[in-house]
Amino acid sequence: MTAPIDVLAALPHRYPMLLVDRVAEVAPGRHIRALKAVTLNEPWYAASVPGSPADLAYPQVLLVESWGQAAGLLANVSFPTEPGQVMLFGSMSDVTFGRPVRPGDVIEHDARVLKSLGDTVVFEGSSRVGDDEVLGVGRMVMAMRPAAVLRPDALAGSETRS
Amino acid sequence: MVSPLLARPRVVSPVEAGPGGDGFRGTCTVAVSPDEPVFAGHYPGFPILPGVCVVQCVHEAAAMLPPAGAGRLDLAAITSTRFVGAVFPGDDITVDLAWKRGDGFWACTAKAYTDRGEAAHVRLCYTDGGAA
Repeated sequence: MTAPIDVLAALPHRYPMLLVDRVAEVAPGRHIRALKAVTLNEPWYAASVPGSPADLAYPQVLLVESWGQAAGLLANVSFPTEPGQVMLFGSMSDVTFGRPVRPGDVIEHDARVLKSLGDTVVFEGSSRVGDDEVLGVGRMVMAMRPAAVLRPDALAGSETRS
Repeated sequence: MVSPLLARPRVVSPVEAGPGGDGFRGTCTVAVSPDEPVFAGHYPGFPILPGVCVVQCVHEAAAMLPPAGAGRLDLAAITSTRFVGAVFPGDDITVDLAWKRGDGFWACTAKAYTDRGEAAHVRLCYTDGGAA
């Protein structure tokens, strides 16, 4: 059940917030395994200077974002949406962190569909570097919504804008 | 701390204990500049602050406003987060946080909001590594 996925076609994210490099395996509606290589060349390290290795820990929230993008890819191939829709990160719970991720690490994300309810999908899973579990995700909820609902003027009451 | 954001929180009201000596509280603000690098890719032509960056604001505010008596605090878990409103370039994020001591950990409960209202509810769990 492995199909090639064009990450750039399937996700709206771009540099420096495109945090999945490759999909290794996907079973639509069920499961995805995706890879993210962390490098010292990412912009978050632009201000890093020689010194404490502990300071090179990859931001934990970006590890979560990267896992979320893997889940988003799974949603994209499982539950096709119309153009102009965006994937919103609604909520998450029971997200646990293992040892720090550092430049040179290749993260392997596993995300599974826990349930899908119309335009809302609930995922669970984990991430590993080698044999180390670096992230556990108890529950992450994503929703597909028209991009217009996010615009400031839409929040003020107008939903149509080109 | 390596961060996806250039902006750093500014302490508005320092940590103070509530009645009874527990329930340390404090407030920070973060000015989200349109020049933040994340906006170029999230999303092109449609900049919106990634939800995880709101969590980062809480995490950094927690680091600036640790509870009295805590040692080195490491983020062990995001207990829960609910995103309720978008954050756009130029917004100021206000983070109100409160600490509660557990057995070997500290729980941080926070609300993040902008001028338009609430942006996120965030609960973080930190292990206390002793002598900071």
